[in-house]
Amino acid sequence: MKYSDVDVAVIGSGPAGMAAAIKAKEEGAEHVLILERQEQLGGLLHQCVHNGFGLLYFGQDLTGPEYAHRFVEKVRDLGIEVLLETMVIRISGDRKLTAANSREGTIFLRPKSIVLAMGCRERSRGQLSIPGTRPAGIFTAGTAQRLVNVEGFIPGRKVVILGSGDIGMIMARRLTLEGVEVKAVVEILPYIGGLIRNEVQCLYDFHIPILLEHTVIQIHGEQRVKAVTIAKVDKNKRPVDGTEQNIECDTLLLSVGLIPENELSRMAGVDLDPLAGGPVVDERRETSIPGIFAGGNVVHVHDLVDDVSWEAEIAGAWAAKLAQKGDLGKKGKIILRPGRNIRSIVPQTISGQNDVTLYIRIKEMEEKVQLRIGAIYNQAFRVVKPSEIIKVNLLQKELNSLRGKTTELIAECEPFDLPA
Amino acid sequence: MIEEKIICIGCPLGCETTLKIGDQAEVVKITGYKCKEGRQYVVEEYRSPVRIFTATILTEKSARPLLPVRTDRPILKSKLKEAALTLVRFKAKSPVRIGQVILPNILNTGADVIATDDLLD
Repeated sequence: MKYSDVDVAVIGSGPAGMAAAIKAKEEGAEHVLILERQEQLGGLLHQCVHNGFGLLYFGQDLTGPEYAHRFVEKVRDLGIEVLLETMVIRISGDRKLTAANSREGTIFLRPKSIVLAMGCRERSRGQLSIPGTRPAGIFTAGTAQRLVNVEGFIPGRKVVILGSGDIGMIMARRLTLEGVEVKAVVEILPYIGGLIRNEVQCLYDFHIPILLEHTVIQIHGEQRVKAVTIAKVDKNKRPVDGTEQNIECDTLLLSVGLIPENELSRMAGVDLDPLAGGPVVDERRETSIPGIFAGGNVVHVHDLVDDVSWEAEIAGAWAAKLAQKGDLGKKGKIILRPGRNIRSIVPQTISGQNDVTLYIRIKEMEEKVQLRIGAIYNQAFRVVKPSEIIKVNLLQKELNSLRGKTTELIAECEPFDLPA
Repeated sequence: MIEEKIICIGCPLGCETTLKIGDQAEVVKITGYKCKEGRQYVVEEYRSPVRIFTATILTEKSARPLLPVRTDRPILKSKLKEAALTLVRFKAKSPVRIGQVILPNILNTGADVIATDDLLD
C-alpha cells in the first residue's frame, strides 16, 4: 500500500480502533490502515485477563485477550493494513497525519478520513494532590494490572487501594488470588465507583474491607511506601479531625478515574467537550472537523467494552462513507444539553434524521427520578448512579417532529414519586 | 432459622436481599428483592455461587512471561483460591492455541482450564 492511498486511517487498535477499522472495511472503504503504538493489536485488552467482556456484543462471557483475539482475526481476514510500533505524533486540521516508527522514520499520510480511537488513561497521583513523601510503591491500578498480568511482577505484599473504580476492584481480587494482602479499598464517596458486579465478585467474595467516605490524607515512607494515613470525610469531602488512622502497607494503588486521551485531537483543533472529556461529536461520531471521526473511550469513558466497540463502529461506518462519497451532507443541528443531575451526553449534537442512542452520564446518585429529554422522552428510574451509564434510544420518527423547530434538547433528572 | 444476605447484581439497583434458610438448607423466605429476575438470581447465588476463574500461568519465554487462562465453565467461588494455588505449578510451553486445554478438570470441578490467548514461537 502506498500511504498516499489511505481511505480511512484509524489511530489505536483497542476495542474501539479494531471495531472501527473492520466496520470501515465492511462498508466498502478500500484502504483501511490501523496505526498502533504497541507491538501488537489489542490495546489494553491484553492486560484485562478477567472475564465480563463481550456479554452484549458476542452474547458470550469472554476475557480481554479473547475479546481482542476475535477482532484481530477479523482485521487479518479482511486485509486491513496495520502499522505496529508506530506512533502518530501529529494530526493537522486538514487531516494531514504524521507518524513515526523505527523502521521507516517519519511517515506522512493524508487519509480521506481519520478515526480517533486512542482510548483513555488513568488519573494519577499528581492529579489528586495527596500530601506526603514520594516513595516507590505508588501505582495506578492499571499499571499494577499490567505488571501482574503481562510482565509477571507483583507490585507489593500489603496493598491499600484508593478509589473504587472497576480496575481497582478487579485488581483487589487479582492480587488477593496471587497471595497479596489487600488491606482496604478506600472510597471518598458514600458509594462504590464501579459496577455492582465487581463490588460483589471482587470485594465481597474475598471479604476485602471497604471504607466509604474515607480518603488517604498522607503517604509515609522514604524509599518505599510504609503506611498511609486515612481519614473519614465530611459532606464536602474534607477530612474530619480525629478520625485519622494509619494503615501499614508497602503499596498504594490508585483507581480514581479515567481521562480520555486527546492530545492528538487537541493538536488537530477539534472541539472538545469538557464534561465528557473527549471530542464533541454528532450521531455519526464526526468531530467538529469534517473527515475526523472518533469512537470509544477517547470520546467518553464507557462502562462496558461492548459499547466501546459499538460506538467505534458508528465512527468507522461513516468514515468509510465519507471516504467514498466525499461528502456526508448536513451536520446535526440539534444540540443536547445536560440539565439537572446530568454530567454529560454523547453525542452532543444530532441531526434528527437517524435513529440514535444517547449515552447519558449521571452526576450524583439519586433515587426515584424521572429522566426527561425535551418533550420526546420520559422514563422513571428507581435509582440512577454515576457508575452506570444510561443508554437511551431515540427513534428517527420521534425526532422528526423536532426538525426545523428545535435547536436544543435538555436532558434532566428530576425527583419523581414512583407508584409502589 | 439462619439468615443469609445476598446482593443482587442484575442491575444498578443492587438490591440487598435477605434469605431465610430452613433446617434442610431450603430457602424459606426471601425479602428485599424488587423483580422476579432478581429473586431467581439470589436463589441461584445461594444454592451454588459460581464464578469463572481467570488467572495467568508462567511460560518458558522471557519475552512473554505469562499466558492468560480461565476455566471453561464457572466453578464454586469457595474453590477460587485453591484454583489459583494449583496453577502456580504450571508452565506453558509454546506453541499454545487460544482455547487449548491447559489443565483438565481442575480440583475435580468438572471445569477445564483453557488458554485465553495464543502463545506462539
